[in-house]
Amino acid sequence: MRMICLALLAFAEAVALREAAVASPVQHVLVQMPLLVLAGFMAAWDLKIPRGWAVPLLLAALTVFLFWMLPRNVDWALSPAGETAKYITLPLLLGLPLRLSWPWLGPILRGFLKANALSMLGVLGFLYTHAPVRICNSYLVSAQHDLGFAFLYLAAALACLWAIPVLFGHPRRGPLGAAGCSRCGA
Amino acid sequence: MLVRALPSVLAAVIGGGVLWQATDGAQAFTSEAARRLDVVRAPRAVPAVQLEDMAGRQVPLLPQAGEVVLVEFIYTVCGDICQIAAADFAEIRDRLQARGLRVRLLSVSFDPVRDTPEQMAIYGDAHDADGAMWTVARPLQQDLPDLLELFDVTVIPDEWGGYQHNAAIHVITSDGRFSAVYDTDAVEAVLAYAGGGQP
Amino acid sequence: MSTASEPAAAGHAATEPSAAPQAGAVKLTMILSGAVFALMMVFGLIMRAAQGQWIELDPALFYQILTAHGAGMVGTAALSGAAILWYFSGRHVVLTAGIYWAFLGLFLLGVVLILGAIFVGGYGGAWTFLFPLPALSGGAWEAGAAAAFMLGYVSIGVGFLLYYLELGRQIHARYGSLARALGWNLILGREDKNPPPPTIVAAAAVTIFNSIGIILGAAVLVASLVHLLVPGFEVDALLAKNLIYFFGHVFINASIYMAVTAVYEILPEYTGRPWKSNRLFAIAWNAVLIFVMAVYWHHLLQDVVMPPWMLVVGQLVSYFSGIPLIAVTAFSTFLYVRGSKMTWDLASSLLVLSVAGWSVGSIPASIDGMISVNKVMHNTMWVPGHFHTYLLLGEVAMAFGFMAWLVRGKTISQMGGLDRAAFATYLAGAAGFVTVFLFSGAASIPRRWAVHYEEWLTHDRIGTLFSVLVVLGTLIFVLRFVARLGRSEG
Ligand code: HEM
Ligand SMILES: [Cu+2]
Repeated sequence: MRMICLALLAFAEAVALREAAVASPVQHVLVQMPLLVLAGFMAAWDLKIPRGWAVPLLLAALTVFLFWMLPRNVDWALSPAGETAKYITLPLLLGLPLRLSWPWLGPILRGFLKANALSMLGVLGFLYTHAPVRICNSYLVSAQHDLGFAFLYLAAALACLWAIPVLFGHPRRGPLGAAGCSRCGA
Repeated sequence: MLVRALPSVLAAVIGGGVLWQATDGAQAFTSEAARRLDVVRAPRAVPAVQLEDMAGRQVPLLPQAGEVVLVEFIYTVCGDICQIAAADFAEIRDRLQARGLRVRLLSVSFDPVRDTPEQMAIYGDAHDADGAMWTVARPLQQDLPDLLELFDVTVIPDEWGGYQHNAAIHVITSDGRFSAVYDTDAVEAVLAYAGGGQP
Repeated sequence: MSTASEPAAAGHAATEPSAAPQAGAVKLTMILSGAVFALMMVFGLIMRAAQGQWIELDPALFYQILTAHGAGMVGTAALSGAAILWYFSGRHVVLTAGIYWAFLGLFLLGVVLILGAIFVGGYGGAWTFLFPLPALSGGAWEAGAAAAFMLGYVSIGVGFLLYYLELGRQIHARYGSLARALGWNLILGREDKNPPPPTIVAAAAVTIFNSIGIILGAAVLVASLVHLLVPGFEVDALLAKNLIYFFGHVFINASIYMAVTAVYEILPEYTGRPWKSNRLFAIAWNAVLIFVMAVYWHHLLQDVVMPPWMLVVGQLVSYFSGIPLIAVTAFSTFLYVRGSKMTWDLASSLLVLSVAGWSVGSIPASIDGMISVNKVMHNTMWVPGHFHTYLLLGEVAMAFGFMAWLVRGKTISQMGGLDRAAFATYLAGAAGFVTVFLFSGAASIPRRWAVHYEEWLTHDRIGTLFSVLVVLGTLIFVLRFVARLGRSEG
């Protein structure tokens, strides 16, 4: 119940950021969209699925993730149709399946996904900080640069978050393979 | 074994298909690329809009009597892209003229409130647009949103009171359809395309 | 020189299971490595002979061969190092065989892509794929070839990522944290009932820095791929260069730092004294962990746009980079070997040689790291001179030593005549070959030139002769390995 409330809260917060998302791609891509994913993630907190569903759901989540990473869809997400699609798919087809499949993913796969996330944030940072053209028509070039740096800062923060438990051991838990969300596992 | 892998394979195939569709077959990742592809595949009919040029005359946007129209969207006090683009536009004009092709060049302002005919004339002078083959013109304020929508031009105010916009050369073929988009400096490609349909 | 006073017996017992798991996979890897080393050396020989104008080689083909030689050698060094580390880590932690096979499969897939890109697609932009060269072939190759080359790298990178995830995970599971596996308890003087053996310290350090290398390398690879396939996207060239050299440098260094575990684990069998971690050893490895990531800056000393502080630090780090570890390893090897009546068979000789070669190879590297020298030397043969020293006489010798040890048979005996001849041939050839490179560098002969001036031909021809010796020695090592492998397994 508490998780459902949190999910609703995250969703409401995301909707409240509508205006800000138009003005700034950082708010759009790195605040509003993650909040929507979080809403789905929280909503599915107490749900369980059989093991066989884990990989298909993960693939669905990855597809949706990649879809919304495409610069053209970031533009599209500001049009009425795109906006509706964003509010529906990010929680339901990304956050929710991710949460459902995560407990079933092995430590190597989790580590692989995390490492990939870091690399891809690096790529995005690379491209957005230095694109000579506007990647998204809806945003200013300077905002695009800010977004690029935001990607890089996020990558650095995640790297620390994920590496510290592996380097120095889990503060509370015993040794565990991949760091991060071990508590929501199993 | 096979049965168990089936949902995953299916999910992967569907996912791949969705992304393939969403990028027009891995060809268009940005909205700019998407619009260029779309226009080529499905040319769009251009409405009969009248513009006001730098001399205050009415000029049609649509091609007249078998000509081709090249359109750039600009605002005259632009500090960067529009100035560079105008230089390339001038080169295109000169080379088309030399080959005697029936092409009209239009620099259309998307800021008709500030870009009065006098203001447009200054821009025209600066770039040697004499109003014959190439002129600078503005639409009525009420026609502007539809035009921008038709050509998929996004204009957003920048930090310094100007605008950022996707700059490009838009081709309206003699059948009155908007059917291609080129980079402002793709001089050769534009010449080849504009000259292609004509002797 | 030991500060560790842990119960040696207990620590040692754990390191002595008789048969290593996944020995078969490792042996297969070593056959592949040996064969590719030999083939790539022949490529090297061809290049050298072409530079010396003993054979005719179309420059376009020269650059394809140079690319294949660079990528192939670096890849094989890393592959053989990884096999060695996996083999010996298996003595201390339980590793999953499936991951190793996945690693090997992805590696081979990468090799196929790279070879296809070079010899079918004509890619010749060197193994460093320096931005934006892959996209600017001047018609020599299509974008697709460059893309295939980079995808090959990506595949190999993914394989290594899986490898390190598994290694890191199992070390973490056994030791609770990588910091402990790096010997922090030893460094801080805390008590540790089960201190990490040298192999685990090495494994932990390499896991950390090579994972970072791979993640950053993947970023620059994918960004370059995007640039290649979707024109309009640009990449900051200086940042790309930084990342590429970071990745390349870390990756090639990692191959030695992985292979050196063969020295830690095998030499004790000959000297009769276990090689244990102590405080100094742990400090050295922790220092390497930091240095190896900063040392690449010496490749950028000529990029005046780099912030000066980076260059200064790069110079300092270059001085110190390998030194602590090499010093500790070389010094310990010296102590172990001197005090014992050790049998000099092919394995032990090659391993001791490798430590010596590695140490010697670090000297020209440090010299190149000096800004004043670098201005003159950087794009000369000095550079291949320094890395061929620590690769040919270091990493490759470690790999060959490990191979000889794998098929050593039941009893250790002195070297036979053929072994002796092969060892001498290899040593003489390699030493002569790298010396010629260094001399050429000092004489300002540039690297990466397909066609050389008349004045340089003497250098090139002497170098060619020495390379023939290296190739001969290598062929004997590899054939001997394969023959004995067949014999011992019936
Ligand atoms: C018989 C043994 C070998 C011979 C004859 C040989 C020969 C050569 C030659 C002629 C070059 C080009 C030099 C130039 O820039 O003009 C070269 C470059 C290189 N070699 Fe070797 N080599 C041998 C062994 C090795 C080994 C064992 C490794 C690594 C494990 C290695 C790694 C490299 C690398 C990374 C380059 C640089 C490629 C580039 O500049 O893009 N080589 N080698
Ligand atoms: Cu402009």
